[in-house]
This record gives sequence, C-alpha cells and structure tokens, in this order.
Amino acid sequence: MLTIRQIAYRYPASTEAALTDVSFAATRGQVLGLLGPNGAGKTTLIALLAGLLRLQAGEITVDGLPLAATRARKPTRIALAPQEYAFYPSLTVTENLDCFAGVGGLFGSRRQQRIGECLAFVQIERHAHTRAARLSGGLKRRLNLAIALLHEPELLLLDEPTVGVDPQSRVFLLDAIRKLAQSGCAVIYTSHYMEEIEAIADYAVFLDEGRVVKQGPLAELLAEADAAGLRARPRHGNLEQLFMALTDHSLRG
Amino acid sequence: MLAALIKKELLSLLRDVYGVAALFMMPALFIIVMSMALKDFYEPAARPLIYGVENLDQGKPAARLLDRWAQENGPPQPLSADWHTELAAGRLQYVLVVDAGFSAQASDLDSKGDAKVRLLAEPGLNQALFETKRAKLIEAVTRLRAEILLAQLDLGINAAALAESIPVVAERAGAGPRPTAVQQNVPAWLLFGMFFVVASISSLFVEERACGALARLRSLGARPWRLVVGKLLPYLLVNGLQAALMLAIGIWLMPVIGGEGLSLQGVNWGALIVMLLAISLAAVSLALALACLVGSHSQAMTIGPTIIMLMAALGGIMVPTFLMPPVMQTLASYVPMNWGFEGLLNVLLRNGDFAAIAPAVTKLTLFALLMLGSGFVLFRRRL
Repeated sequence: MLTIRQIAYRYPASTEAALTDVSFAATRGQVLGLLGPNGAGKTTLIALLAGLLRLQAGEITVDGLPLAATRARKPTRIALAPQEYAFYPSLTVTENLDCFAGVGGLFGSRRQQRIGECLAFVQIERHAHTRAARLSGGLKRRLNLAIALLHEPELLLLDEPTVGVDPQSRVFLLDAIRKLAQSGCAVIYTSHYMEEIEAIADYAVFLDEGRVVKQGPLAELLAEADAAGLRARPRHGNLEQLFMALTDHSLRG
Repeated sequence: MLAALIKKELLSLLRDVYGVAALFMMPALFIIVMSMALKDFYEPAARPLIYGVENLDQGKPAARLLDRWAQENGPPQPLSADWHTELAAGRLQYVLVVDAGFSAQASDLDSKGDAKVRLLAEPGLNQALFETKRAKLIEAVTRLRAEILLAQLDLGINAAALAESIPVVAERAGAGPRPTAVQQNVPAWLLFGMFFVVASISSLFVEERACGALARLRSLGARPWRLVVGKLLPYLLVNGLQAALMLAIGIWLMPVIGGEGLSLQGVNWGALIVMLLAISLAAVSLALALACLVGSHSQAMTIGPTIIMLMAALGGIMVPTFLMPPVMQTLASYVPMNWGFEGLLNVLLRNGDFAAIAPAVTKLTLFALLMLGSGFVLFRRRL
C-alpha cells in the first residue's frame, strides 16, 4: 500500500540530514513498528507521511500514486495520531470529534454516526460530554486515537500512542490497534517500548541517525537476534537486545 | 470545513472565562469608570467652583462688579481669617480680592493708581478653568469701566443695551452631539476592547500549536488560508458583539448611573458600520500576526497586551491627543488605534459621512492587509 523509496530530508536550519536514503514498504492489515533512539528521524518521517513536511528527495507512493497527489485527492486516507494530545482541552470529547470530523469533510448523519462509532471503539462514550482537559491520561490517549479513526483511514500513523498511560489503558490501546490492522488498515507505529512492538508488530524498521539500519518481518528479526546470541535479560525482550546492538549503547542527545 | 473551524474557535473562546471577561467586561468597566471620572472635565460649568471674596474697597463699582459675579458664578463662601491656607489646600478653588481704591480708580479715567481685582486660584485648578475665570473677570471689569465711562461722557448711550449687543458669536460647527465624557470614552474604550482580541487569539493559537492540534488539522487537509480565515471570521463577530454592547452601555446604562447618555442623533449608520468593520479587520489582523510571532503562552500573554497598551497610550485612548505636545501628536498620527479613534469621533461627534471616514478606513485597511500578509507568511513557517 505504502512504498517509500530513498527519501531524504534536511531541516532548513540544520546542516545535518534528518533522513537519508530511507526505503521500506507497508501493506494493508500490517502493523509496522518504527523503532529508533531519540533523534533517529522517526517524527520527521511521520511528519512527511502526514503531509506536514514537504518531501525533498526520493519518492513516497500510496497504491502507486505519489503521496502529494493522494493527499490532494483525499487527505483523510492517511490519519495521524501525534505524540501530543492533539485536541482542544477546553472542548468536550464530542465537540473535539465533531470539530475534526467537520474539518475532514464529514457532514450530517454520517458525521454523527462516525462520532458514535469512534466513541464506542475506544470505549469513551461515558465521557462524551466531559471536557478533554479533565480526562485521565489513558482517556486522553483513547480520544487521540478516536479522532484519528474518524475518517476510516487506510493508513494510520501512530506516534508513541501509549506514552504516559497505565498498563490497563496500554493493553486496551494495543488490542484496539491490532483490531484496526485486522480490519485492513495499515498501521505505522513508533514507540520506545520494545515489548509493545514485539506484541503487535508484523514488521519492524530500525532507524538510527536518519538511516534504516535494519528492517524485516518481526519473526525473522527475533530469530536473527536469537541466532546472534542476543539473549534477553530478565524483563527485556530479544528485540530490545537487537535494538541496542544495532544502535549501540551510548546515550543520545 | 470553515464552519467547523469557526465553531471550534468560538467554543474555545467561550470556555476561556478570563478571555471573555477581558474582551467584554474590561472595556465596559473602563467606559463606566472613565466617563464618570472625567464627567466634569468635559462639563466644567456644570458644578460651580467654590470661591470667596475679599473686598477691601467700599465703593459702589466694586459692589456692582461682585454682585454681577455672584449672579453668574453663584454666591461666594464666607472667608475665614486664614483663607490663604484654605486656598493653598484646595478647599477654596479661587478667591477674588478687590484692592482698596479700585472703585475710585475705575471711576477716574486719568487715574494712575495700581488698585486691581485679583484672581487667586488654588494650585491644582485646571488650567482651562483658570483661563476661563480670568477671561470672565477681564470682561466684567472692562464692562464696568465702559459703563462708568459712558455715564461720565453723557452721550445718551444705553450701556446695558450696548453690552447685550456685543458682535461676537461662538458656536460649534455642524449639528453633531456636543462632546461629553461618554461621547469620548465609549469610542475610546470600545476601540481598546476590539484591539484586545490579541490576547485571546495569541493564547489560543499558541495552545493549538503546542498541543499538536494544528498539525492534525493540517494533516486533515486544512489549507493555511482556511485556518487563517477560520480565526478571522469568529473574531470579527466578537468585535461586532463588543461594539453593540459598548454602544448599548453608552446609550442606556450611563444615564441610569448618573452619566450622560451616548447620543447617536444624526449619526450616519452606514459610516459607523464601515468604520467599525475597518477597525475590526485591523485589530484581528494585527492579533493574527502577533499570534504567529509569539512562541509561548507567556509571550502571548505579555507581548500582545503590552503593544495594545502602548498603542492606546500613544493613540489618544488614554490621554486625548490635543493634550499631547506636538511631537507626541505627530507620533500618534502613525498609530492605527488613533486612526480608528479619529474615524469613530468623526462619525459619533461630527456626524461624519463616508467621505469623512475614508482616510481612516483606507489606512486601517492597508494596515490590515499588511498584517494579514505578514501573519500568513509567519503562519506557514509555524506549521
């Protein structure tokens, strides 16, 4: 569905490239885990896919059509759930959903129907008339996801969707994301939590300093880590050992 | 899409209690407080000044002069022995001292004496009031001497009739309402309130940017011009509501609480609406440009309001420009708030029509376009 070929990006004020020669593909029904230390280029890549930055080199296509053309025809085919709580704290849950539904071009009964479905999907109907600022961290994350689902996207970009939530909410969110993939949506999921990626991803891409240092089906990567003797320490999965081996153990600024 | 953006903006503003208070309560309170405080500034004759008389002359001319003065200015207060202290402390506003020998001197045209009528004012007396009293006293003494002269020459001229037929007419040009504290303060603080949208727009925009909602709107395909218009239109509406409320306070509330009512008699409504639209466009465009310029909530809450306060001080809102020295008056003529104020005064005080407000409307519109252009460029950079 999504094909990324040799893309590069450098911020105007920076001398170093944020992304260099990045290539991978994502298919429908798949959760693609995008991994990398801070500053690896994950957020830049997400911003490019969400149309927030303009591609400088390389090519991104959706079903064979350039990303810009896809977005021009129907921007809501790709949805973004940013790392921040990207909604209006003074508006209620329903008012937030109504606002983003309207901006994305949903009207009338269809709009009301989708708002109801998204509230139900993330199970926040009880809080429909609560102001977003008063929601708990977990409920805010669920609202963030609900807004992203309003327009039934074919590609869902989730940037650290479980940051700051309790274990129950995290399990709920991971289940919800898995269900979305099973329904045919392509999901690109960035996270620092390796166990999350191990739990839901089908494919993983490791980014470091703007480059892809490793990618492949998750099962193959885990087998490779196992074969390389990167044994898991207690409470740490094999994927984390592979991640540390690929990106070295030094702290990143 | 635009309807959703406008609804979101209005809901966000309505939930910001302090923001709404700043936009509606603050200018309303300023109108009430400043109109009441400055009531006597625009109507100095409404309340007679407290004065006393020390007549050291026993002649009839002096007595006639003081009788006439009492008829026009009310009866004098009895003076105590230490009236100088009371005058210096402001408990008396002025004292007329008639020197001994004044009557004799006034009756003798060849007199070389130096007896005078002295106007001694308290140190804090308004300069305009002081000058008015001085002019009145000169007129009264001159009239007295003219009457005595005519009587001595025995020309058969009726001095009283002559005084009644002085060929001087003083009146205000045009048929507009006379200037009162309310007539000045309603447009002044309405204008201030309209420009104060900068605080709300900046604050909401910074929040929208920081929380990622703006990025989400962009990813949903909202074009920058739509996002800008989505902010412009709700605040034009807010400015319209502010104008309606402030005018209503001037017309209906001020008379109830003891002030003069705002008079819209003879006002050209079309010109007033065009003037308000031009002010609103300039105010919201400036607010949008500043909102795109600031990077944090604290900057939003300090830079914008500070600029508005400075514009109000320079533009004649806080201090009338006619009280400023020439340099400051020149400076004021470059301040958009002053263009708006002069335009509103043209409509509300001088019954100005479209031609009268054309210069102000043109300058405000050009300023709005400049701010919108700058804001749009900054907005795209912030996205």
